[in-house]
Amino acid sequence: MTEYAEYVLEKEQIDLMLEKGYAIKEVKENLSGAFVTFEKGKDDSDILHIKTADGRKYFSNLLFHQK
Amino acid sequence: MADLRTSLAGIESPNPFWLASAPPTNSGYQVQRAFEAGWGGAVWKTLGEPILNVTSRFAAVSFNGQRVAGFNNIELITDRPLEVNLKEIYETKKRFPNHAVVASLMVEPKQEKWHEIVKKVEEVGVDGLELNFGCPHGMAERGMGSASGQVPELVEKQTYWAKEAAQTPVIVKLTPNITDITSTAEAAVRGGADAVSMINTINSLAGVDLDSWNTIPHVGGKGAHGGYCGPAVKPIALNMVGECARHPRINVPISGMGGVSNWQNAVEFMLMGASNVQVCTAAMHHGFRIVEDMIDGMNNYLDEKGIASVRDLVGQSVPKYSDWGNLDLNYKIVARINNDVCINCNKCHIACEDTSHQCIDMLQDGHGNAYLEVREEDCVGCNLCSIVCPVDGAIDMVEIESEHPPMTWNERQAILSGVQDGKANTVK
Repeated sequence: MTEYAEYVLEKEQIDLMLEKGYAIKEVKENLSGAFVTFEKGKDDSDILHIKTADGRKYFSNLLFHQK
Repeated sequence: MADLRTSLAGIESPNPFWLASAPPTNSGYQVQRAFEAGWGGAVWKTLGEPILNVTSRFAAVSFNGQRVAGFNNIELITDRPLEVNLKEIYETKKRFPNHAVVASLMVEPKQEKWHEIVKKVEEVGVDGLELNFGCPHGMAERGMGSASGQVPELVEKQTYWAKEAAQTPVIVKLTPNITDITSTAEAAVRGGADAVSMINTINSLAGVDLDSWNTIPHVGGKGAHGGYCGPAVKPIALNMVGECARHPRINVPISGMGGVSNWQNAVEFMLMGASNVQVCTAAMHHGFRIVEDMIDGMNNYLDEKGIASVRDLVGQSVPKYSDWGNLDLNYKIVARINNDVCINCNKCHIACEDTSHQCIDMLQDGHGNAYLEVREEDCVGCNLCSIVCPVDGAIDMVEIESEHPPMTWNERQAILSGVQDGKANTVK
């Protein structure tokens, strides 16, 4: 799979979470990439592991431009 | 015809092209020949206690057929008594009153030594002084040149001492053999410098002879590091000029040098903040008359751009020079191969496949003809394919409109800091 194809998958996962009503609650970045915590309400949360550079740029843009 | 006159901290010159302090400005005969050829100014080869030189002194690096891509020297400052140089400076200035004659100076880091030489040199009518804090060999071992130019406190103190005695503008020439040239440039400003100039030569060893195993150059089988200059150092010099030009506390004019070989290079240095340029290696390679092309080229460029004065170039690109963290992460370019121009040498494919991001495919059309195509979605816009391509116009780097407005790394980190502890800045 090309890196672009990996990115497209990650983007789809992020968009799906947002469509479901989740919001980005927390971002932890380390040697493995970014771990983005999505939260809906108080008890419902999920974590996406974003590995590609474009994927990390994508959620950053969402945060930055919708702040 | 554009106005080429420049002023560096009040030192007037008929054009921005000065000869740097170096072998071409060793004597009145040479400097007067240079002025006859058209050079606007000259920084006299460094004056100080006359030294002893060795032979041999120079070496050059040729690369892929280009001779003198880089130039290395182990020659020291003037080997002639001060009085001889001063007599020739006086005669030169008398004959060329409208040309800039600047004396490069180097003495021990002692107040009385600076006072003594400044007074003696100014008596013969120089237009300015350039303090040599950059020479990397020979003099540095004696506590002068780059040895004192690498210590901000010494730069500040010696500049102050020179300024105590000086009536003419004081230019401080900086060494590039330091991690951050803005620290010494700032020290020069604190010491009262009227201008800074950069870069002096870079510590270097030109090569090693594969048969004799002697260094190049060598002196009877033994070598020592020299100072590197010429076209190869231009990118290093240009960055240092730009870094100083955009520094808020280095608010004095800059004289730019380091690989300036033609009028185009001069324009680049001036756009990055230099008020004029100094040249050495190109003159040593091609003779003084290269200044004719520099003047003609600069004139034509300014006329074509509709710019009335060369002074209007100074610093125009400085606002475009910043830190990496201020660059737009969303700006995107990709490579496009023009197959009607491409000769199918496959250099771009090899470069991309072996050393970049594997996004140039070798394909065949319906007739079995080979062609190359970029998968734009995988292209990171690194430029490598267009750099290695031997055919002009075969590869274009084209802008792709981003789906997102600009966002810098610094802006990203600022917004992410709000969600790294799970506190705020949620997005829906």
